[in-house]
Amino acid sequence: MTLDTFLTIATGGIVLGGLYALMAAGLAVVWTTLGIFNFAHGAFIAAGAYIAWQVGSTDASGLGFIAGAGAAVIMMFLLGMLAQMALVRPFERKPNLVLLSVITTLAGAAIIENVLTLIWGPRPKQISAVVQGDLAWQGVTLSANEASMLVLALVLLAALGWFLRGSVLGRSMRAVAQNREAAELMGLDVRRLYALAFGLSAAMAGLAGVFVGSIRFMSPSMGADPLLKALVVVILGGLIRFTGPIYAAFLVGMVEAFSSFYFGLYWTPAVLFGLMIAVLVLKPEGLFGRKERTL
Amino acid sequence: MRYDPPIHHGNGRLFLAFAFIGLALFPLAVDDAYLQHLIVLAFIYAIVAASWDLSLGYGGLFNFAHVALFATGLYTYAILTKTLGVSPWLALPAGGLTAVVVAALIALPVLRLDGIYVILVTIAVSQLLYQLVVSQSDVTGGTSGMVTLPALSIGDYRFVRDGKIGYYYAGLALLVAACAFLYAVTRSRLGRAMVALRDQKYFAVARGVSEARTRLLTLMASALFTGIAGAFFGAYVRVASPDVFGLGFLTLILSILLVGGGATLWGPVMAAFVLPLLSEAIADLGPWREVLIGILIILVVVFYPGGLWAAIQELREVIDVRRTAFLAWRNRRRGQAAREARLSAREVMVPTPHGRIAVSDSGGDLPALLFIHGNSACKEAFFRQAAAYRGRYRVVAFDLPGHGVSENGDPERSYNVVAYAEVAEAVLRARGVARPVVFGWSLGGYVALELAARGRATVRGLAICGTAPLTVVPDDFGSGYDAGPHLILAGKQYFSAAEARDYAGSATAPLSADSRFLHANLPRTDGRARSYMITKLTVVNWPRQRRMLRSGQLPFIVINGADDPFLNHDYIARLAAADGWPLVTIPGGRHAPFFNTPDAFHAAFDGFLSTVDAGSSRTSADIAV
Repeated sequence: MTLDTFLTIATGGIVLGGLYALMAAGLAVVWTTLGIFNFAHGAFIAAGAYIAWQVGSTDASGLGFIAGAGAAVIMMFLLGMLAQMALVRPFERKPNLVLLSVITTLAGAAIIENVLTLIWGPRPKQISAVVQGDLAWQGVTLSANEASMLVLALVLLAALGWFLRGSVLGRSMRAVAQNREAAELMGLDVRRLYALAFGLSAAMAGLAGVFVGSIRFMSPSMGADPLLKALVVVILGGLIRFTGPIYAAFLVGMVEAFSSFYFGLYWTPAVLFGLMIAVLVLKPEGLFGRKERTL
Repeated sequence: MRYDPPIHHGNGRLFLAFAFIGLALFPLAVDDAYLQHLIVLAFIYAIVAASWDLSLGYGGLFNFAHVALFATGLYTYAILTKTLGVSPWLALPAGGLTAVVVAALIALPVLRLDGIYVILVTIAVSQLLYQLVVSQSDVTGGTSGMVTLPALSIGDYRFVRDGKIGYYYAGLALLVAACAFLYAVTRSRLGRAMVALRDQKYFAVARGVSEARTRLLTLMASALFTGIAGAFFGAYVRVASPDVFGLGFLTLILSILLVGGGATLWGPVMAAFVLPLLSEAIADLGPWREVLIGILIILVVVFYPGGLWAAIQELREVIDVRRTAFLAWRNRRRGQAAREARLSAREVMVPTPHGRIAVSDSGGDLPALLFIHGNSACKEAFFRQAAAYRGRYRVVAFDLPGHGVSENGDPERSYNVVAYAEVAEAVLRARGVARPVVFGWSLGGYVALELAARGRATVRGLAICGTAPLTVVPDDFGSGYDAGPHLILAGKQYFSAAEARDYAGSATAPLSADSRFLHANLPRTDGRARSYMITKLTVVNWPRQRRMLRSGQLPFIVINGADDPFLNHDYIARLAAADGWPLVTIPGGRHAPFFNTPDAFHAAFDGFLSTVDAGSSRTSADIAV
């Protein structure tokens, strides 16, 4: 293998990693705060992509990429809060919350996907790239669009990291994640923070949707595959630290890129899921985790 | 030991027989090929959903690889019959066996994990299997699947002929077999271990239930018929495609399970017929159908988590309450003369805070005796006492709410020992009865104790029979009674005919000319009066009753049958010795000695009454009989 091939594969892996990191961070915010796994996260991605397309694409409203992405983030934030109220809040205190929320979020995902089909039809669409052209360096070419998406993802993750660690609201969310009762006794509005965490997670999913929609074709079920990858990422990374899933995301992106090259496209998911099962059995708290549940 | 009669001894057998006979006759009565096709699919869905209920509902194991087990059966059938040319009849059980093996493999990572991690690892396993199927396209046909799988046939008869009627009956037979198997598992040692681990994990483990072994067996048991159903599905639609791994199929089966009701077995089986037909009825709506089904699932989970099964139970309760209310209303009008003759006293309806209560009061200016009957009985149980004490005493007896010809009460408010004591106070007040000697039998004994302990009505003396005084509930309940099967009936809401006979027989007397009216009265009892009374035993201030007994202020006696099948006689003897109150045991007397051995009972009770009348505050130790 030449260095060129290696670098090309690695770049592809990094771009994938950026996407997975965005998704996994969103999933992790909900998981650590509410203690549930949101199966509608994939549908949130699709919804975000469609909203961005509707607002930004020249085939629709044509307000440009930035307006589209902005609209996707805002709308998805609201949709996420709504989803939390409809799908999770009614049985927040029930002992079988985990199972119930799996069921309701699966149903929510089915609803969102079919509503997307109803509105925009099943035909594939694509969000027009934010910048045209390619970047070339040392014989490796990377489309400017993918590069800008990657940068955007990294900036956003940094912003999320600052939000969770630096801002009062983010610290309140972490407090709720660490100990709901204590946080409540300290006067935090747990319900509002739960809704906020869900909204935040959905907004990040919306942005990930913009990401996917501009590098691949969009369809109402486009979120299913990235959701499963994000699942692997979260398991591998563990949830002890906010950065765990992010490292894991780039690791998974790399594994995927290289295993596609060596073992073929069909074997890649099998490799990833095999890896995930191995980690779950041997180190359920994740590769970068300790046995705690916190952000 | 928990009293839990098998379905063929209870009320369920009729419904079950009706349902299966109805399904067996259906193709003869209705000639609709498409509907028949949907029902065959419903058989398959029912098997898969009910099997999943075993691990998810009973076992509390979130095995999201369940549909992958179905797919395993399907692909086993496809590869064995199409590629290897094995007989379809061998491939069907082989599908079940492979699924069991795969379930055992799934169990390995699941053994160490809990909660959401089980969901994640099983989803990963399911995806892994999916990828395996898709990537091995030369064996499995990849994403396009395998088509024209061999059909089932017996001899020369191919099941696809005659509108696929052969598949219909094969599917029905498979459903019956699966239900029988799952039912047997839920009632086996394994089934109890599953539920114990789900509800009280650490307690179950401490009692010697192996968690790993139970999980492994649960998953394997839930896989067996799922795999066979997958193979049968392959034989029926004759296509094996990787779509069965998809979220769509998973959501369908999950919604059948949920809408039917988890941990009920029969709920998912019923829902498998309702949901697909419902979904087929709105098939024209396209994507709207999925949206509506999604909304339905959310609504059921949020507002009606018990599902279809709970709805049926509620309907059953409504019907049963209507029935008992009607019986009480009818009996009030029809049999009054017979009841008055039996107690030789007028019957009047007295309004109380817990509904109108039927009271029999012989009246007159005599010292009063108040009789309080037991669970699921009525005031006429004391007809021998009414005859024996008439003329010497004013005999008052009443039907508890939900019993005899009294009205049904509000279950939350009126069906507990405290409410019954309030009813007794209201009856005494309304009839102007002062300072009665109270005799309470069984449940009535608790009511009598509570009536005296509350102190709002003055009680001159207290006698109880078939009642174990309690201090700490439920602990003392366990030691005060002999937990035989008929005792558990005391809190059971619905009685089958055999249970009603058993309960009336052991609580009072086996069916005879004398006890016939009691047996006839029992079905009138509001079933909620039993179930609520038992669950609300904890609302009573038991230590106060015990303090009252210990203080010795009130003349008190316990008159029990020596052969009482419910009581733990040692427990009561210990209490009597500790507190210093007299205990009489009547040889040959059972739970209702005043009914079965009246002479010996009356001798003991007369002795007690004379000490009370003599004004002594304390009877001497055991009165010889």
